[in-house]
Amino acid sequence: MYKLLSLTLCLLLLALQPAQAKNFKIATVAPDGTRWMEELKGTAKEIEKSTQGRVTFRFYPGGVMGNDKSVLRKMRIGQLQGGAITGGGLAEIYPDAQVYGLPLAFRSYEEVDYVRQRMDKKIINGLSDSGYISFGLGEGGFAYLMSAKPLNKINDLKQYKVWSPEGDEFSRAAFAAIGISPIPLPLTDVLTGLQTGMIDTVAASSMGAIALQWHSKVKHLNTTPLSYLFGTLIIQRKAFEELSAQDQTTVTTLLQATFARLDKINRKDNEQALQALKQQGIQFVEPSADEQQQWQNAVANATKAMVTKNLISKEMAQSLQGTLNEYRNSHK
Amino acid sequence: MTIRIWIMLLLLAISGGCTNMIAGRFADNLGAAILAQDDPETVRQGVPAYLIMLDSLVLQSPNDAAILQASASLHSAYAGLFAQNPLQAKRLSNKARQQSRKALCERQPAICDHDDGALGEFQTSLAKVNTKDIAYLYTYGSAWATWIQANKGDWNAVADLPRVEAIMMRIVAIDESYEWGRAHLYLGVINSQLPATLGGQPEKGRVHFEKAIALSGGQDLIAKVELARNYARLVFDKTLHDQLLNEVLTTPTTISALTLSNTLAREAASELLATSAEYFEE
Repeated sequence: MYKLLSLTLCLLLLALQPAQAKNFKIATVAPDGTRWMEELKGTAKEIEKSTQGRVTFRFYPGGVMGNDKSVLRKMRIGQLQGGAITGGGLAEIYPDAQVYGLPLAFRSYEEVDYVRQRMDKKIINGLSDSGYISFGLGEGGFAYLMSAKPLNKINDLKQYKVWSPEGDEFSRAAFAAIGISPIPLPLTDVLTGLQTGMIDTVAASSMGAIALQWHSKVKHLNTTPLSYLFGTLIIQRKAFEELSAQDQTTVTTLLQATFARLDKINRKDNEQALQALKQQGIQFVEPSADEQQQWQNAVANATKAMVTKNLISKEMAQSLQGTLNEYRNSHK
Repeated sequence: MTIRIWIMLLLLAISGGCTNMIAGRFADNLGAAILAQDDPETVRQGVPAYLIMLDSLVLQSPNDAAILQASASLHSAYAGLFAQNPLQAKRLSNKARQQSRKALCERQPAICDHDDGALGEFQTSLAKVNTKDIAYLYTYGSAWATWIQANKGDWNAVADLPRVEAIMMRIVAIDESYEWGRAHLYLGVINSQLPATLGGQPEKGRVHFEKAIALSGGQDLIAKVELARNYARLVFDKTLHDQLLNEVLTTPTTISALTLSNTLAREAASELLATSAEYFEE
């Protein structure tokens, strides 16, 4: 009888206790004071208020927790519960997340919008199956080739010192397909590399090139979108599921709204940044139709090679191509 | 991503370009009197009328480099430190930039031929500026920095940052002790905008900050505040952050021309210390 009573009491007490407060430690490379951080901090405050303090966030801005790789490692050992990770960085936990980064996949932002409306969910579900919750993808924009040397002919690139992100098999393979042996460097060393001449050509979004100050070291920009960049905030599913269902919904709704907003802000920012690059005296080069075709053919082979090497699944690559074909056929 | 730019880096670039005209002397004395104020609120309320008065002097002598420079300095200082809203900061800093550009280009026309072209050509034109025009160059650079700050949401403005860096590098090359080493202070802030993980060079920034502190004999407290705000916060060094700010609050200062600047520095130090625990919380 006593046993039963104490068990009942115990259960009752448990039921009466408020759900345990949860603090998420989140790393991002964006420095404090940037729009990205202001948006995230604002949303965190809203979440804290809406959940009566049950869900709080602690941000580590400015890359103090290291690059994508070390943030993911710290998430695995429980030092962090989440982080803002780039599309390329997601490869480690879910290789197919890189699909939008396939070289020359997109020709316009209209194509991006069409595909993303249909495929973002696939990526987010894939991440969830791999143990990470994403609250939506945030556009990073098209990466363009920028160089200290003229970019009129793709063939010229073979003579250039082209940067590829260290450990990024994707971009290395894409460059290799057009006969370039890129120089792998961590992001940390790119600006210095451009200053010292160790590299003379980079691929970056217009916004990224200005924010990282690479624009001051290049003189030419090729207007062909090389690849599509994005980032996302992920939280370990295990940690997220410790929240009550109601709190999960609150966090998801508010963070999704923030990412949808950031997505739009970044589109505008990139457009403006591209104009700023022009104004800074950087020469914009549009390759001829022949050149474009030559490049497309070479890259098609690169994509096949990536599938063969299991850098991305055949199913995901085909899904992207199929969706793009669908768009192109209906917009001829 | 919008690049983070300094918040209070204006540093009162109200310096005196000597002129034998009465108007020029008035402008110089006005600048000196403002810098010696120990009540920022008086300056905030009182300066707007003098901005208009300086504009009237510019109208009277539109090509007088010294008057243009004095007006630009005060417009820039007010825009950076006391503007009531973003639009006012944009308008005043825009005027400051135009006036400081005209002042410098009255003396160094080549600079205006290259300041919106390729960066390399701009750097070459800067190499021709020497000691006698350092005040004009400094006002031009600091007004440009204030304009970038006021327009930090505009990528055209952010993209100009390497040009301000080039100007400050030139000042360091001509005379690094100019204005208590404040060119180093700008370089400290510029180099502490990006974390090392993104290719920034905060350690280089720290060296510049420390030079600025040394060149003012520790009297220019803004240098310590900006070292704490930009570098210590970026690299998450709470010990350094709090130590610097406590020094700012306890160091006695004696230089009259730094009175206003140091009063503002102490206010900023108190604000930063108040949010230190929250920012650096483990």
